[in-house]
Amino acid sequence: MTELSRKNFLRFLAASLSSLGSLYLAGCLNQDKLLSRSISPDKISPTPFLPDPTEPVSTATVEPTPTNQPTETPAPSPTLAPPDLAVARNGKPEEMVRAAVKALGGMGRFVKPGDQVIVKPNICVAYHSYEYAATTNPWVVGTVVKLALEAGAKSVKVMDYPFAGTAKQAYQISGIQAEVQKAGGKMVVMSGIKFVQTDIPGGKDLKSARIFDDVLRADVLINVPIAKNHGLALLTLAMKNLMGVIYDRPYMHAKLGQRLADLSTRVRSHLVIVDAVRMLMAKGPSGGDLGDVKKADTIIASPDIVAADSYAATLFGYRPDQFGYINKGAQMGLGTKDLNNMRIEVIPFG
Amino acid sequence: MADPNVPQSKKLSPENWLSLRKVSQIFFLLLFLVVFLWSRREFYLNSSLESGFKETLINLPLRLDPLVMLAQSIASRKLLLGAILALVTVAISLLLGRVWCGWFCPVGTILDWIPVRSWKKKSPAVPDKLRGIKYALLLIILFAAILGNLSLLIFDPLTIGYRTLTTAIWPVLDQGFTAVELALFRVPFLAPAVGWFDSLIRPAIFPAHPAVYRYGWLFGGFFIALVGLNALAPRFWCRYLCPLGGLLGVLGKYSLVHCEISENCSRCESCLPACPTGAIQQEGHMFCDPGECTMCMACAVDCPTGQVNFPAKSTRFFHQPYDIGRRKALFSLGSAVVGVGLLKSNLISDLPSPKMIRPPGVMNDMLLSTCIRCGECSTVCPTNAIQMAVFEGGVEGFWTPVLVPRIGYCDYSCNACGQVCPVEAIPPLNLEIKRQQVIGKAEIDRNRCLPWAENQPCIVCEEMCPIPEKAIELEVVEVRAEGGGTITLQRPRVISHLCLGCGICENKCPAPGMAAIQVSAHEGNHSGRNQHRRGHGD
Repeated sequence: MTELSRKNFLRFLAASLSSLGSLYLAGCLNQDKLLSRSISPDKISPTPFLPDPTEPVSTATVEPTPTNQPTETPAPSPTLAPPDLAVARNGKPEEMVRAAVKALGGMGRFVKPGDQVIVKPNICVAYHSYEYAATTNPWVVGTVVKLALEAGAKSVKVMDYPFAGTAKQAYQISGIQAEVQKAGGKMVVMSGIKFVQTDIPGGKDLKSARIFDDVLRADVLINVPIAKNHGLALLTLAMKNLMGVIYDRPYMHAKLGQRLADLSTRVRSHLVIVDAVRMLMAKGPSGGDLGDVKKADTIIASPDIVAADSYAATLFGYRPDQFGYINKGAQMGLGTKDLNNMRIEVIPFG
Repeated sequence: MADPNVPQSKKLSPENWLSLRKVSQIFFLLLFLVVFLWSRREFYLNSSLESGFKETLINLPLRLDPLVMLAQSIASRKLLLGAILALVTVAISLLLGRVWCGWFCPVGTILDWIPVRSWKKKSPAVPDKLRGIKYALLLIILFAAILGNLSLLIFDPLTIGYRTLTTAIWPVLDQGFTAVELALFRVPFLAPAVGWFDSLIRPAIFPAHPAVYRYGWLFGGFFIALVGLNALAPRFWCRYLCPLGGLLGVLGKYSLVHCEISENCSRCESCLPACPTGAIQQEGHMFCDPGECTMCMACAVDCPTGQVNFPAKSTRFFHQPYDIGRRKALFSLGSAVVGVGLLKSNLISDLPSPKMIRPPGVMNDMLLSTCIRCGECSTVCPTNAIQMAVFEGGVEGFWTPVLVPRIGYCDYSCNACGQVCPVEAIPPLNLEIKRQQVIGKAEIDRNRCLPWAENQPCIVCEEMCPIPEKAIELEVVEVRAEGGGTITLQRPRVISHLCLGCGICENKCPAPGMAAIQVSAHEGNHSGRNQHRRGHGD
């Protein structure tokens, strides 16, 4: 082996460092193009749905309207268009998720073969098992993963960034890891370096944020929050669940409603499935007292994040317009909060 | 390879022994690192107290350290079962002398690798009597241990190794890797590779959250100084200062196998520069002091005539001027008594500062006589809440664990520090019991709290509180807005009897700089053993 003289070594070092440096600079120069994989405006509005003639439309009966809930227009649907929102009740988590997604036209409407799918449940802490309703029901998440894979997804990654403890531990304690792996999905620990500074062109207050790279790159994002109490937001639902994909969360708390709506313009949930199998009625978001948990056995599914959150709010006896982020989201055209003017299909079990 | 016709000597040549030693040194250094990495990772996940295999392995190096185990047993007045492992090292030392230093010790290995060749000529000769320092240090540690003090264990080489890895080497590597990853991640075609590294390799080596340690420069500087002393003499630390080396040296004096230079030695003095600890004396005939010899075999390799052997026979007792004598013993006893007396008059363990929040399950006044200052709790703490105290705990409490909530919080679902502590200074508690340990109490500073001082909505402390009943309640109040009219606000209030002092509220408080909610050490965490010394009989 030839010995490298000091001079040659230094030359080699300088050459490699300068090439690395120029690569880096090149990366920085094109940062806008390279890093902000901006979504064209037509992708922000929900894509118009073309009914699949082969998919039979669910013929489930429409439940009588509960008193505290908005009128559900029965779907006469001459065009066989799916409802805006589907609600499954009183079943097992898996059958409710399957029925609700089927009512919307099946997972094939959202996930195309070969798509890379990210499922974002709420796994905010590593304190308790799923019975305490601080984290999304594991079977709900597992079923979503199964459905995505059945629809031909190339990969399904499941992730969240807990605010306390470590993700690895939270994934395990919540029980979500076991169900996701059984279903064939992959749990991903969200690492700090992958939160890239990203422009939010549609944002009114939040113009830029560090957003997790995989979420920006994914073809489909399925947002699977659990419906639970939160001191500031009243409830944490789908729009608030997206806090988990950004880095600087304390910043969000001031002007929470507007900033959450801004975030949703950039990180679009293609499908929202609200887990209300168990609802945490108080002491959220971390919970810990089974006395605060109410078994509601409900699954809400919709491609419209504002509609899904609005419906979920009614389960707690709130009106959608009591929520800052629902109001701002509706104002910004992310969806509709008017439950009287949307077609809701209710699928009762048992 | 070996010709079967030529009878092979069954004995290994000195060169082979030397290679064997180097392999052993590398192996044990790597083992030390692997064990360190295991304690760094989230091994405690779902580990119950019964299945303690990994815990045992993680604690193995320190439990093999006879100085730490002896001093800790004396000071804490408690013999831990794991401490018996130290007898293995004692037995090996009685059999083979200071092989620990030459063959196993990770710090010794690193010191062996520091080149001294260029410095050697310029450096002044170090007087031999300085070798006495390590014996004096050893005696002071042991006498102080009798008086219940373990402060000087900061000079044990293994605790130095752990502390330096934890607080200096790992954070620096972590930062370096993060910076490189961040830079390369921006280069489009490298991003997948970086992502792969980041998801597969990085979690195995680095903690989930960036390692943050106060006074990293101090811990790193201490180690650099220790290594830098090599400029004065090879293995300066091991020769003159290391108290564990002193203890093993005392045992080595009586070891069965030892280095012997035969009577036929030609006094060519080739062995003198070869010996890394300068153990070979040349008064009268050449001989090797077994209290200083690390059995490294370098002299045997360098001896041109093969006069150095390692026979297994009882040794003549060599007493050197630097060895332990009556005068040294009395000096050490005096230093220990005066030193510990001066430290105790500080009452630091009895009247601790409110900022000395100790890990869960610890009695604040007992920690100083049980903690060996190894910093493993700090290594394992997933949020970096456990830092090593510098002066806030008094000189006596140097490098004992203290929680700094603004850096990290005590995670509600973690009991790792108690599991990893090699001497149960932090008691091993299962999660249910750990969740009942009160380490402090939170207090809100209404002059800084956003809803109190500025009428701005903020509920972060309540949101973060992990207690099922919530130790922070939100009071809904109507307040006058600045421009007239009223606004509805939620103002936090601590329910003190529910608060455990985990500090997540202080950690996440969005008030800039100093948090508007702060945790103070819990007064109740006192065994009361030394109550009489408080003087006011409460």
